[in-house]
Amino acid sequence: MLIKESKCTGCGTCVIYCPVQAITLIENKAVINRDLCVECNVCYQNADCPAKAIKLERLKWPRVIRNPFSSVVATHKLTGVPGRGTEEMKTNDITNRFELNELGISIELGRPGVGTLLKNIEYFTLKLSEIGVEYENDSPVTALIIDDQGHVNKEVKNERVLSAIIEFKIPAERLPEILRVIEKADEELDTVFTVGIISRIMEDNSIPVINSLEEQGFEVKPNAKINIGLGKRRVKEES
Amino acid sequence: MTHSLHRIGAINDLKGDYVVLACLAKGINRDSPEGRQGIIKIANIIKEHEPLNMIPEFTWKISPVVTAAFTDINEVMRVIQALKKEDLGISIVISGLISEIQAALKKVGLRMHTVHLSLGTFGKKEFLPNEEEILEITTMCGHHCISPQSVLHHLQQIKKGKITAEKAAEKLAKPCVCGIFNTERAASLLNKLSK
Repeated sequence: MLIKESKCTGCGTCVIYCPVQAITLIENKAVINRDLCVECNVCYQNADCPAKAIKLERLKWPRVIRNPFSSVVATHKLTGVPGRGTEEMKTNDITNRFELNELGISIELGRPGVGTLLKNIEYFTLKLSEIGVEYENDSPVTALIIDDQGHVNKEVKNERVLSAIIEFKIPAERLPEILRVIEKADEELDTVFTVGIISRIMEDNSIPVINSLEEQGFEVKPNAKINIGLGKRRVKEES
Repeated sequence: MTHSLHRIGAINDLKGDYVVLACLAKGINRDSPEGRQGIIKIANIIKEHEPLNMIPEFTWKISPVVTAAFTDINEVMRVIQALKKEDLGISIVISGLISEIQAALKKVGLRMHTVHLSLGTFGKKEFLPNEEEILEITTMCGHHCISPQSVLHHLQQIKKGKITAEKAAEKLAKPCVCGIFNTERAASLLNKLSK
């Protein structure tokens, strides 16, 4: 993102819209800190700059990768999938991506509202790859992992984004190993991150993973996302 | 997307905050005419139930998802009932209090299929705003396009009497293009913060 200094009147409207506080007023001109800017386009789309001083920039590699990890409407060229995440459990009643004995895990770095360098992905993926998890194929984060050890493409490591979601699944009994990684990251990582656990519902309507999580000292929030099972696989649609 | 999963707040506040989402499945019904017709049909059903906020209509013909925010679990239940009756075969996800959604599903003869639970936020929480209410507002846009300083700015405007909390909530909702920002809850939180 660019702000044309010659046009800027210093009204400061764009400053308040920036989700990562990358814009400041310096001598009555709005100035973008290019290291902090995540190329989310929120200022461009919402500030209605009265002087039309905010300009979209033609981004080059590797900076261009900031945009799809930060803008809601951008599509990842690596995966062809819009948004930061995937369908995950949203279509599980049709895809059966997560079976009864499996858990899905989402770790979203940089959320809420702090942002993250993409190198922080590697903090997790080195540990997760050693454990042996199954990464989600459609995830743009998975597309950045270059080897079986979990290394991230070094060209993008210093790019800052609004958030990045590591999505994977594990056999349910391996949950404790993942929780230990989360506990360590809680102490060591230089950003915030949120954690989500995806589980199928048992025949008796119970969610056994809640007990497992609480026994291991994790608080499960009272609100969740719930797939209500109305999705159906129909042959005609697939042909 | 984990977009509506990590909304934070007290249970009483969350009782008035639900997101309904319909999602087409890649490789199954996403690119089929039946899938597209179905998602438009769902969008119209949701609209008939007067959601507080909803993804803009121009996206219905192109987006793989339709999203809307509701404040009343009973209205959400009526939406579910209508969708069950239509039997369009498209996946539906409801975000909100597990106990309330579970009870609503039981009343309409459905049960949960898969759940995405939140363990909350970890790491350098000192980077987050001090006031919990600001986070309660900003996390209502799951893509986090609503900035904390925007909330603070509108709060100052309310305190100066230049804008109502309701109008400020509408302005804050603008960057949330998915239409899941709960303006009613935001106005209530802004009122609380301004006193």
